[in-house]
Amino acid sequence: MRQRSLSGLTFSLALLLSLALPSAGWAHKASDSFIYLDQTQSQVRIDLALRDLALLLPLDGNGDGQLNGAEVRSARADITRLVEQGLTLSNSAGRCQLVGQQWGLSRHSDGPYAAGRYQVACPDNLPPATLEYSLLFDRDPLHRSLVSITDSQDERLGVLGPDDRTLALENSGSVAGNVLQLFVTFLYEGVIHLLIGLDHILFLLVLMLPATLPLNRRQSAGGMVEKRGLKARLLELVGIVTAFTVAHSITLALAALNIVTLPIAWVETVIALSIAIAALNVVWPILGRKTWKLAFGFGLIHGFGFASVLGDLTSGVSQLAVALAGFNLGVELGQLGLLLVLFPALYLFSRFRLYERAAVPAILLAVGGLSLYWVAERAASI
Amino acid sequence: MTRTTNGRSTTCFESSGLCRQPVSEPGLTALHPAPRRRVFSIAVLMTALAMESVMAAPAAIETDFDDQEILITLPSGAQTPDNPPQTARDAADRVQAYLTEARSLGDPRYLGYAQALLNSWPQERMTDRLHILSATLDQSLHRFDAARQQLTQVIQQSDDRSQTVQASLTLANLELVQGRYTPALDQCNQLATVFPGLIAGSCLAQVEARTGNPQTAYDTLLTLTNRASGADTTSLLWAEGTLADIAAQLGLVAAEQHWRRVLVLAPDDLYSRAQLADWLLNKGDPEAVIALTEQYEQVDSLAVIRAIAMKQLDHADADRLTAMLDERFAEARWRGNLLHQRDLARYALDVEGDNQTALSYARENWQDQREPLDTRLLLRAAEAAGDDAAITEVRAWLQRHNQTDARYPETRS
Repeated sequence: MRQRSLSGLTFSLALLLSLALPSAGWAHKASDSFIYLDQTQSQVRIDLALRDLALLLPLDGNGDGQLNGAEVRSARADITRLVEQGLTLSNSAGRCQLVGQQWGLSRHSDGPYAAGRYQVACPDNLPPATLEYSLLFDRDPLHRSLVSITDSQDERLGVLGPDDRTLALENSGSVAGNVLQLFVTFLYEGVIHLLIGLDHILFLLVLMLPATLPLNRRQSAGGMVEKRGLKARLLELVGIVTAFTVAHSITLALAALNIVTLPIAWVETVIALSIAIAALNVVWPILGRKTWKLAFGFGLIHGFGFASVLGDLTSGVSQLAVALAGFNLGVELGQLGLLLVLFPALYLFSRFRLYERAAVPAILLAVGGLSLYWVAERAASI
Repeated sequence: MTRTTNGRSTTCFESSGLCRQPVSEPGLTALHPAPRRRVFSIAVLMTALAMESVMAAPAAIETDFDDQEILITLPSGAQTPDNPPQTARDAADRVQAYLTEARSLGDPRYLGYAQALLNSWPQERMTDRLHILSATLDQSLHRFDAARQQLTQVIQQSDDRSQTVQASLTLANLELVQGRYTPALDQCNQLATVFPGLIAGSCLAQVEARTGNPQTAYDTLLTLTNRASGADTTSLLWAEGTLADIAAQLGLVAAEQHWRRVLVLAPDDLYSRAQLADWLLNKGDPEAVIALTEQYEQVDSLAVIRAIAMKQLDHADADRLTAMLDERFAEARWRGNLLHQRDLARYALDVEGDNQTALSYARENWQDQREPLDTRLLLRAAEAAGDDAAITEVRAWLQRHNQTDARYPETRS
């Protein structure tokens, strides 16, 4: 009984079971059509695979399972109508007309295609601003249209699919648009990196602390105690931040342009160490009282840290200078934003004696401890 | 599968639970500088920019073509719009037919037709069989997680044994392809209890072979196969294909014989044909490769191996085939090369000699597929590109699974 049911099972499954076998890497490409839009000539060419057209139109007139030249030629009007339905070029004045110029056969890597070239005539005689394509997607959701757009600036490639049927043509602004987009992307990355990179934030905090203190230690050491106003403290802060910015911008550029590269594991360790030393220096000025010098020196190493992130993001980006500028500016903006929030708060706290007596030492201790922990951890993984 | 990669290229896999990262106290982890990998978020933009360098010069439009010339032979079954299927059984039969065509011709257009049918089929009328077919399609399109989810659902919820058997087998194969041997073994064991025989035996042997015991696996399956004289063709296909693979892993000459048997039973088994062609190429027999791949230039994996063999032989046809592959891969890259990574990597490595490109595709491919040929490709590409970190990563993974394979390059000391 069991035996019989099993063999019955095998029989009913036979075909399906073999589908579970591993399959070879996929073969000749899936269904693609090709659209070449030349904005300088106001022309568009579209190539559709005969095989795909046969899904939509009864091309095989004599029903022999083959297409010959005559069958394709006689379907010309139908194919043109199909193109007019499936390909729309338009701008703010409305839909552009496609005026037939040339029609025939073409070839791509998977076989013969029907190809048509059209003059694009928009109602206002300006170039089209949008391209929309919708052929074949309901028959084959894996169908794609590979689009090439040539304008006065360059040639761009794009891909249209069932969920992404329109393409903005961005006349003449395309290159500028891309560059702007790249710049904005990296600007954003710069801001984000500063804000999520706890080590840079802590370093800034520690650098900032001396500037928030009302007493200038240099003078108090000489016996004269002088209360500093907001202006003096702000000046010191500006000096520190500028030094840090100049320093890390230099090394960020050097590393991003591959002029100087340092092993990242070492860089990360030294960055952690720099926080600990800066914290120590507030209490016990082993490196002197001029915080801006410290900011400059360690800023150099932080620049290499930023560069390693930037390097991960830019592999394959051609306009490296744009990316670098955007990223650097983003880091500065993030830094500035942080200062705008932190400094006024700390300035307010500094009115209380408890701030200098307890809060600052506690912060320094916590930051110093955490950064030393990072030093140990990062050094161990070198 | 969730995968995290840190700066030093160590990789953790959710399934194995073995991460080679220093583990720190949970309390402090939250304070660590946040992960600095945001590569994916702007990958799209970068692709768009990189694409600008690709030129797309189309062939001229030929207006003066002959009326009598046969331009193309249309594949059967996919010409004119069908009437939509009425019953779930009808729908499943059609999807299955499309998937079978796609597999035997290596033609992804049929996967698109199957997808269209499934898209139009109402969700509430999905049957277990349709779910399995949909998962099979997902797997073919490298949507592995979606496939796994549907199959698991059928295994847990279906009370139709033939469907759970099919789902288990499909899932076992998916896990094997991805190199997740523990869940693969679970499915094979499941299969062995409800559907014992050569297929379950092959399933178990494959897992055993890839986790340290290829010789035992081979011997056991060979005995099992020799004893099952009256087995059906599908079972024999599984057994012979598996025996061939394990024999190749062991470096046994019997591998060729097993693959030849598969090809006698199923000449359009492109997977076995490609494996055999590769085996012959490694053995140093490019003439045999040319003969074996004669009618298969349309299939990328076979065409690439053929191109390598032609290059070795200084074949008169080598330039034509290389030009054809160049065009095909340029179009694939324009489209987005999701399904082509393995073949692109092989082509870059062995035909174009572009080691960096080969390495990046081989590495991408290895994130999804970890069959021995995928692993070997990555090891070879990493070696050619001098990327020791990648080699160490792959070797560590192999060691974790105790996997050895005669086809892998020697370990350098």
